[in-house]
Amino acid sequence: MFNQRTAKAEGGSAAPEVVRHSRYPTRLTMYDKAPALEVSIEEFETFALDRLQVLRAIEDAQLRAKGEDDMRKRISEALERHLPLHTNRSRLPSRQLMAERRKDHVSHFILRLAFSRTEELRSWFLRYECALLKHRFREADTAERQELLQTARLQLALVPQAMRDEVLGDADAFYSPQEQLFEVDFERVLDLVMRAQVVLHAGKAYVPQAEIAALLVHEFRQRLTRALAVCAKALPQMDEDERLVPVLQNMSNQSARSEYRSSTAAGAVSADSVDSLGANFPLCMQHLHAQLLKDHHLRHGGRMQLGLFLKGIGLSLQEALVYWRRAFNSMTDDQFQKGYAYNIRHNYGMEGRRADYAPYSCHRIIMTNPPGPGDHHGCPFRHFAPERLRAALHQDSLADPDVREIADLAAAGHYQVACTRHLEAKLRRRPSIQGQEAPSAPVTSPNQFFDLCTGSVVSPSASLSA
Amino acid sequence: MTEDGNPMEIDEAAAAVSSGSEEISTETLRQYYQRLFPFSPYFLWLNHTSSPSTMFTHREFSFTINDGIYLRYQSFKTLDELQREVQRLVPSKIDIGAVFTAQPRNAKSLQPGAFKPVSKELVFDVDLTDYDEIRTCCQGGNICKLCWRFMVVAMHVVDRALREDFGFENLLWVYSGRRGVHCWVSDKRAQALDDAGRKAVAGYLGLIRGGAEQARKVALSQRQALHPHIKRSLDIIEEYFEDILLVDQEILLTRDRWLKVLAAIPDEDIRKTLDAKWSKHPDRSSVEKWSELIDVIDKHASKSRAKSWLGLFERSMMLQLAYPRLDENVSIHANHLLKSPFCVHPKTGRVCTPIANDAFDSFDPLAAPTLGQLLRELNSASSEATSLAPYIATFDSFAHTLQASAAQDTEPSQKGSLEF
Repeated sequence: MFNQRTAKAEGGSAAPEVVRHSRYPTRLTMYDKAPALEVSIEEFETFALDRLQVLRAIEDAQLRAKGEDDMRKRISEALERHLPLHTNRSRLPSRQLMAERRKDHVSHFILRLAFSRTEELRSWFLRYECALLKHRFREADTAERQELLQTARLQLALVPQAMRDEVLGDADAFYSPQEQLFEVDFERVLDLVMRAQVVLHAGKAYVPQAEIAALLVHEFRQRLTRALAVCAKALPQMDEDERLVPVLQNMSNQSARSEYRSSTAAGAVSADSVDSLGANFPLCMQHLHAQLLKDHHLRHGGRMQLGLFLKGIGLSLQEALVYWRRAFNSMTDDQFQKGYAYNIRHNYGMEGRRADYAPYSCHRIIMTNPPGPGDHHGCPFRHFAPERLRAALHQDSLADPDVREIADLAAAGHYQVACTRHLEAKLRRRPSIQGQEAPSAPVTSPNQFFDLCTGSVVSPSASLSA
Repeated sequence: MTEDGNPMEIDEAAAAVSSGSEEISTETLRQYYQRLFPFSPYFLWLNHTSSPSTMFTHREFSFTINDGIYLRYQSFKTLDELQREVQRLVPSKIDIGAVFTAQPRNAKSLQPGAFKPVSKELVFDVDLTDYDEIRTCCQGGNICKLCWRFMVVAMHVVDRALREDFGFENLLWVYSGRRGVHCWVSDKRAQALDDAGRKAVAGYLGLIRGGAEQARKVALSQRQALHPHIKRSLDIIEEYFEDILLVDQEILLTRDRWLKVLAAIPDEDIRKTLDAKWSKHPDRSSVEKWSELIDVIDKHASKSRAKSWLGLFERSMMLQLAYPRLDENVSIHANHLLKSPFCVHPKTGRVCTPIANDAFDSFDPLAAPTLGQLLRELNSASSEATSLAPYIATFDSFAHTLQASAAQDTEPSQKGSLEF
């Protein structure tokens, strides 16, 4: 059934003889085979932690980098530091090349093990391993890319130049005429589909040569997903190994950005005092709070973001029900009970699956569920039009130079840094907590902003240096 | 689950009521579920074949009873079981969820993680409340003939993209009973999409980005040729734009209104020029003002090469004002619940009727039958059919299409020639 042409690698690699016949002839791999070799327990831990540093650096770069180039630079730097992987052309002694490749190989499999425990860990690991492969593929030279594509055995149907007009019609103008196009099911290039970067026709996506990485990453994601599921099933049998299990657990615990855990006891804030605390809210919560007072309503996204924040600063369930009931003063008791009270109790773990929900982190607010028409949730530094952001900062009594600096940071994509500057500017205006060290690490959650602003905790940098 | 058979004489019940929500009572709803709800095509629509498969038995239904109690994770082994339970509980709303790895009613006894959604129709939800910043005729839950036309555009744009670009064939459009439309895609390939796949389709179709604090909501790429989907959508929108936005909605009629539109122009000079001009002649129609706006933009565009957004302004503005505003959260999670077709909307009393594929332009939501009207028709005995009949016919023929294509799918594999 494969009458279509299949993409094939051409030309041999420039690898020296000893490398070509070694365990690791190529630099990049899809990690199809587990390492069958001995690893000391020290190596086991350092290898894995180094790789973890890289994955975290990628997560960080996706959040903070301004533009593609900056992102690539940040990831490359992290790789150079923790997990260098030189090419066959690099004239380094083959012993070093082998050692680097062994470390890359082994560390991937250790983390695979460590991160197979829960659904959440698996999806974190999957996301950043895919990003890593994508980065390395982009940075690789043509020969290395071909080698990897060959080992991946992607089935790709090339659209013959002569057929393009027939297949695509006017839509062909979307691509440059020199670009080679591959026809694949749209499910294989979801990222490109989501951003409308490929033309679709009758369920097929037309992927240009330059975006071939998307196909490779898709294939890798499929294989790694299956492998992680297998791993998760095998994991219980490992429980007896007293040396490895604690190491593995420790590793996965350090991964995903920890959620904000409130240090404030529930009940510290009452329904009456919420409004007076508004001056200590970060901009996103100030905005939601102001809109709530103005409209006597908030849509779902806003209720979740503000509601969990208030829970985090110490508003108990009983007080929350009072607060929201009063705020929604244009509806009847009945409407409130039916439409909203359930959700509030749900947030406090009293309904449904009874999970004790944590306040949203900045990461979550910035990266997921962007506001749509009529929505007020989200991160003002990310989701406000520039003029609106400046107006909001002025309204919070910031001086012109501060407003300018913060707006510039926001425009450059440094949303959390902008928010941190906002906090610093607020703190500078307050003689009462002058002794407070200005935070230098970016704010990572609205609740942390609030804690720092009210002086209820020391800043992260201060606690680190202490 | 027990049921008490309750055939009732209910001829008087419908007589007193007038219109809309006042006509909805447990009694009138019970009559509706006993005499009108199209259970048999409903089953076929969900199950695709005539004997119950996991597509039906492992499907989550959710009932809203006594106006506020949600019963989630209901499931049924047969159509008969579903029908009896619906007629017993008389839910004011039925929601449909995903098909799961096991029967949802047993969910609680399963290991966490063992109960997962495996398939569901790909669904879309467009709601007129998301057009509140644009429409000038109604707000909130209210709709009229004028603003309903935004839904007409939405159906055309989404329907063509799903068919032409994604190759889906089995699309059921349903009036949501009040202020919007739902689309249910029943193709096997659509049902099989995981959340990432649903998110990608929703992202592809979603152009309107940004919340209440962002005046420019459509960003077209200046480097690349327009995507064919956007081109086609613009072609559709152009047919309606002047009528809907300028003539019906008069979006530039008053200063309040035109300032909202001007806010999307990044150039302050242009904003001020137009504001001054229109303040002098506020009585000009929106059609005139729009053509002045485009003139001013075109003049600036020919002068300055640097400001390339100008060339795209008219098109991005037309998209911002008329492109479908999809509620993406409904689409991206397979286990999101969506109100079932043929529910009676509790606020309007209108039945959530299917909208035939060739009736996007002619469908009138304010003429969709209400519960009270249907019961009066039933009891007047003048004819067999109620005004629900044509909608049931649409639904029935759609369900039979699904059955036919399911039959086609299974045939080749029986011959043992699996093709890849």
